[in-house]
Amino acid sequence: MLKCLSLPLTARCLALLLPLLGIAVLPASAAPDPAKVLRVVFEAGDEGFDPVRSVNYYSGAVLDAIGESLLTYDYMARPAKLVAGVAENMPEISKDGTTLTFRLRKGVYFAPDQAFKGQKRELTAQDFVFSFKRFFDPALRSQWRFLFDGKIVGMDDFVKAAEQTGRLDYDRPVAGLEAPDRYTLRIRLTQADYNFPYVLAMAATVPVAREVVERYGDDLGAHPVGTNAYMLTEYRRGSRIVLEANPHYRGFKWDFTPSDDAEERAIAAKLKGRDMPQIGRVEINIIEEEQSRYLAFMRGELDMVARVDALAESWREGSGLKPELKARGIVRLDEIEPELTYTFFNFRDPLVGGFAREKIALRRAMIMAHDIDAEIRIIRKNQAVAATMPIPRGVVGYNPAWRPLNRYNPKAANTLLDTFGYKRGADGWRTLPNGDPLTISLTSEPQQVQREHDELWRKSLEKIGIRLEVKTGTFAENLKAAKRCQLQMWNSAWHADYPDGENFLQLLYGPNSEQSNNGCYDSPVFNRLYEMALRLPPSPERNRLYEMMTRQVEIDGAWRFGVSRIRTTLLHPNVVGYRKHPVIHAEWKFIDLEQAR
Amino acid sequence: MSAFILRRLWQMIPTLLGVILLVFFLFNFVGGDPAYLLAGKIANPEQIANIRRQLGIDQPYYVQLWLFIRQVLTGDFGVSWSTNEPVATIFASRIGPSLIVLVPMMLIETVLSIVIALAVAYVRGSLTDRSIMIACTVAMSVSLLVYIIVGQYVLAYQLSWFPVQGWGDGFFENLFKYSALPILLGVIVGLAPNIRLYRTFVLDEIHQDYVRTARAKGLSDNAVMLKHVLRNALIPIITNLMIYLPGLLVGHFLIERFFSIPGIGREVILAVERSDFPVIKAITVYVALATMVVNLLADLLYKAVDPRVQLK
Repeated sequence: MLKCLSLPLTARCLALLLPLLGIAVLPASAAPDPAKVLRVVFEAGDEGFDPVRSVNYYSGAVLDAIGESLLTYDYMARPAKLVAGVAENMPEISKDGTTLTFRLRKGVYFAPDQAFKGQKRELTAQDFVFSFKRFFDPALRSQWRFLFDGKIVGMDDFVKAAEQTGRLDYDRPVAGLEAPDRYTLRIRLTQADYNFPYVLAMAATVPVAREVVERYGDDLGAHPVGTNAYMLTEYRRGSRIVLEANPHYRGFKWDFTPSDDAEERAIAAKLKGRDMPQIGRVEINIIEEEQSRYLAFMRGELDMVARVDALAESWREGSGLKPELKARGIVRLDEIEPELTYTFFNFRDPLVGGFAREKIALRRAMIMAHDIDAEIRIIRKNQAVAATMPIPRGVVGYNPAWRPLNRYNPKAANTLLDTFGYKRGADGWRTLPNGDPLTISLTSEPQQVQREHDELWRKSLEKIGIRLEVKTGTFAENLKAAKRCQLQMWNSAWHADYPDGENFLQLLYGPNSEQSNNGCYDSPVFNRLYEMALRLPPSPERNRLYEMMTRQVEIDGAWRFGVSRIRTTLLHPNVVGYRKHPVIHAEWKFIDLEQAR
Repeated sequence: MSAFILRRLWQMIPTLLGVILLVFFLFNFVGGDPAYLLAGKIANPEQIANIRRQLGIDQPYYVQLWLFIRQVLTGDFGVSWSTNEPVATIFASRIGPSLIVLVPMMLIETVLSIVIALAVAYVRGSLTDRSIMIACTVAMSVSLLVYIIVGQYVLAYQLSWFPVQGWGDGFFENLFKYSALPILLGVIVGLAPNIRLYRTFVLDEIHQDYVRTARAKGLSDNAVMLKHVLRNALIPIITNLMIYLPGLLVGHFLIERFFSIPGIGREVILAVERSDFPVIKAITVYVALATMVVNLLADLLYKAVDPRVQLK
């Protein structure tokens, strides 16, 4: 306490001092045990914790632990299932699908912070109105703005006014974003958007209190204050983050329904009915190097570790673990990430682009020549699965029975090229149908793993007589060229913002060229199907449209589908109840620590 | 002396201007466009234009260049484009951990190298000399990465003599607990080339006439080596040391990454990856200034070590 008094008043100190000031701090559940310290690791540094500015995965994990969005996900349900978060229930949606009404839980309080001047601060609907407006503040340059852009009634005028003056007037009302009373939030959309509820479950949409924003200003990223189970008590950017239980958090009973999986049933049997959160402190170390992460885990300095694929030979034996790890009770957990790697071809490129039959044949031949199994075996060290659709596993719209059209088949690829007039010269290399030389240009970055991908492409295309040149540039340069539709061919990746196929298919929607559609693929058939799908709620009918779009992409040879990585997590036996959720980044409030380390 | 210092300080201005122009040219004509990185996954051309406007990179080049010069003059490089953290804060918080590792590493490495170089030069041609030179050649042939990986695995993980990685809050905790292994590995890596180099400097002096004269006067070997040979060999040694001093400002990326040290080295690499121009500008200017100041310091040290040196 003395130390606390001698230091600037931190949230932690405030929590200690509040009772002395006569302000009650009464957690709904006495569950969090300060002695239960979970030690986890991030593989890369965060970028601060301002919801609208932080796009980094690890920032999202901390925001997930600190803040609560309107909706969230059921911890155990797979595929991921939306449930009410800080909202009392799922939203009431109008018949035309354009108005969503949320009733907030009462008695949800922000963690103690100096910004509240010693008062308990309840979360209200107005906090969401304020927080959502922040996405459009030109000064904040929010990378998440696309989630709301053009979707909320009246927001365009609001933004125009801000762009004219250079500052956003937060007090100016927006017709589509209202708080009719303290606990009701009404959002009116410009058109029905059945994926919008997913947006309201993202870490980017956790509310921030206006007082906190006004107090910390540009430094808000270092002072996140939310209503969830944890609060930030120590932050050394790029090195260490410490979270402690939020004394104002209301707590919950562990009550999730497991699948038929025996391990999940065992977890449920053990944790059902337990007051959560149990863990009182989460220490996050940022360790970028795989060897350092793995050794720290093996030394018992970490309770769990992930992404140590390069050292797979040290811990992996078949689909299990080496006996020495098993003997220590270490558990291996594999989860396919809701992500996709792909190679796009530029449809505006004179050599590989367009919808002429010989161009389609060229692209499809290159896709069929690429040895995806070699990529998984050699480059990914078997820590990935081949993608069969532009929608990864675990995401709504993925069909496990889907038979891809352009499977690996160099012989068929050669036949296809022969048929469309790509003749082999005396030197063995093919030429264009008009006799001009044929050299494909792949854009890449100067990193070891990229060089391995480049080499695989080179060998794959050699099998069909196509010469490949690799143009190397920094990621920033390549990204700029991609956004201008200037790259002939580039390996890319996308991680689900929300678990619906639309989040991936929008990468192929023509009007998104020069935004997210870096291949500038603009198929009228695909575009029409995509627009039809947007108007439908999640349903088998919409899934069929997703499959039709997938087939069109395959027919046109727009993308080579790559892989989805397998995220392997190694856990010490003291960690109870951990399942990697495909969307939630921080599962810490759902798990417990039991045995002594 | 004062005139010399003033003249050298005056000469720093055109050098610094050259550095500013070079960095400005490289960033604008070779580096990527930060607006595209900052725009995020989905952004339309208007939003990208808005970001360019906010960053000021849509301004004419002469305006941007003047802004850069003004930043150098005021020492205020603004905030990082990617994290919004003030550049001054980034340096203030990251330089400490780097120096905690690099300063002791450099001091220990220098003292040990000089002592060993003097010793092997003294027994030049002997089995000890040859053995140490062969060992140095072999040690120099091994990559730094191998030292780090093997050192971390064997000394920290298997033998548990050191922590595998980490960083604390206290100076002494960081120096003696977390920096010990990085310093040890850094010293081992730096010793081999330095011993070879410094041995050559010492041998150059040992064959000089003044050494023969000193011996003829009946001075002891210790006195000859430490008072005469070392003093004259110090000039090239100082030159070599001064070359490395500005490097303290950019940290040691590999060591910081493997041992999770929140130093400036990782920050510099991140800034380059993100095209974070304010951080890149600041580090380049700081290093250029440090190099010029250290060069001046080296000249003054030459004079202190050898009074015959004339500063002109």
